[in-house]
Amino acid sequence: WGLRVLCCSLPNPRNVHFESINMKNVLHWSAPEGTGHGVLYKVKYLVYGVGKWIRKPECRNINRTWCDLSSETSDYEEQYYASVKAFLNGMCSDWIETTRFNPLTDTKIDPPMVSVSSTEKSISIILTAPEKWKKSPEEESVSLLQVYPGLQYNVSVLNKKTKKRWWFSISNTTLVVPWLEPGTAYCVSAQIHVTTPLLHSGFSKEYCIATLKGMSDEAMT
Amino acid sequence: GEDALLPAPQNISILSTNMKHFLSWSPVIVQGETVRYSVEFQGEYERDYANESWIPICECSLITATVCNITEDISATVAYNLRVRADVGTRRSEWGTLKGFFNRITTSLTPPLMKVIADGCHLLVELEDMGPAFQFCVLYWKKGQESRQKVVKDASSVVHLDTMEAGPDYCVKAQTYVEAINRSSSFSQTQCVGAQGGTSMWLV
Amino acid sequence: RCRVSMSMTEIRLGFTAIKASIVSIQARDPIKTLSILSHPQSLHKVKSSDRCCITHHLFNFYVDKVFKHCKTEDSYINRKISSIANSFLSMKKKLRQCHEQNKCMCGEESTEKFKQILANYEGLNVTSAAIKSLGELDILLDWMEKSQRAEHV
Repeated sequence: WGLRVLCCSLPNPRNVHFESINMKNVLHWSAPEGTGHGVLYKVKYLVYGVGKWIRKPECRNINRTWCDLSSETSDYEEQYYASVKAFLNGMCSDWIETTRFNPLTDTKIDPPMVSVSSTEKSISIILTAPEKWKKSPEEESVSLLQVYPGLQYNVSVLNKKTKKRWWFSISNTTLVVPWLEPGTAYCVSAQIHVTTPLLHSGFSKEYCIATLKGMSDEAMT
Repeated sequence: GEDALLPAPQNISILSTNMKHFLSWSPVIVQGETVRYSVEFQGEYERDYANESWIPICECSLITATVCNITEDISATVAYNLRVRADVGTRRSEWGTLKGFFNRITTSLTPPLMKVIADGCHLLVELEDMGPAFQFCVLYWKKGQESRQKVVKDASSVVHLDTMEAGPDYCVKAQTYVEAINRSSSFSQTQCVGAQGGTSMWLV
Repeated sequence: RCRVSMSMTEIRLGFTAIKASIVSIQARDPIKTLSILSHPQSLHKVKSSDRCCITHHLFNFYVDKVFKHCKTEDSYINRKISSIANSFLSMKKKLRQCHEQNKCMCGEESTEKFKQILANYEGLNVTSAAIKSLGELDILLDWMEKSQRAEHV
């Protein structure tokens, strides 16, 4: 009768928390203090207010220190907890839990995708909000614009010649800046801003484009 | 003498401008002693639902200044009571209470500082950053024509309003709007510029 | 229809502060398998016609029952709770005007749903129930903002 009694005296996993980007919700933690290789982990999660913890089979006896719980936490009208337990040489730690996770307010939002085109005297900017994480490519895409209908874009347009930067705050996804100088480079960067809950993305990288050379410039060259 | 009752602070008043609220009072004079003051507030909720309890403002506990920034605690549009007391060593005064309530809806809203810029044929405006509670209603028009409006929420940058035809002047004025109290300031002075080189024009 | 301007930003900021504080308001609620607002019934299933009534009930619930039992040893949290409580009181008064003008009618379903919320609340001791309700404020705010946006669509 060789039941091995697991003595829970292993130090606990540390800093158990969700890292969420566009509602791709991944549980992360650090290995217990002073433990080298060989530590294995189990993960479980709970929908707040619902009676039971649920084991995550794909994260049973894993040696990595993260576990993707996006699928289990995809309903952003619910809130969640997750918990991790460590095992090593017949010893185990306590279950260590996250704080309460609210996907709607606790996710980080990527910058919008920016595409720019130009004519002789104008540039056109098309902005696309990132999509909410989805289980599989076949699944229907949900834009974060649908999740946060009050979403706005802050757009910066930098004239590379004069070094002057203008700002636009728009809710729709296209912006045309007319009456620009021909043959001039403009750099565009954009950020997403949600007022409540208060969320904003970082700025996208800069997309630079030059307005076409004017007819007169063409004649002279 | 040593045990004479410490007088309560007097002339307690509020100065509230652009949703920044400051409580001030006259100093209590005790020769050769440092007098310290403590401030507490009581919202309508505390009065009507929490046994008229008072809440200390720890940033203004045992301070020597005779002014306290109460902005962070006056964060609802209801009637607040405020009080101050003095301490010298072990001696403590009675509370001096602000006469009447203070409701932030009475804050005085000043027109925003505004700079209108003509950059080529582009009309731009730069507005003073007055904090997250403020939005700006910017009116702009070609002289002699109907005005158009733009709401600016984030004031910390040069905001593009429109493009300008060469020739006529374009005029701009702005007012602040505070959603929390549903009030607006009066309009700023009008500033007009014309489409031209990159310098900004001021109305003299 | 009841039209009440509600500045949610300040309440959100207040709640974010007490959620993120060293001893989070939610960490003071050890009961993870019970909820006051979201289970067994969800606010997100409330019909649009019942929204005003449920909102009115919930503001009364928080002002009359919850906030007074939420005092903590942390003066910073207490000040934030006061800020939220006074904002709720301000909105409760606006909603009461709507109710008195019969613009915020209560149907059977919303009355039933609110009874469930009260039953959840009374199933716990007063302090635990109050702290749990305060920790669930974001559930209420998320729902209200979603409903507000649905009104504008």
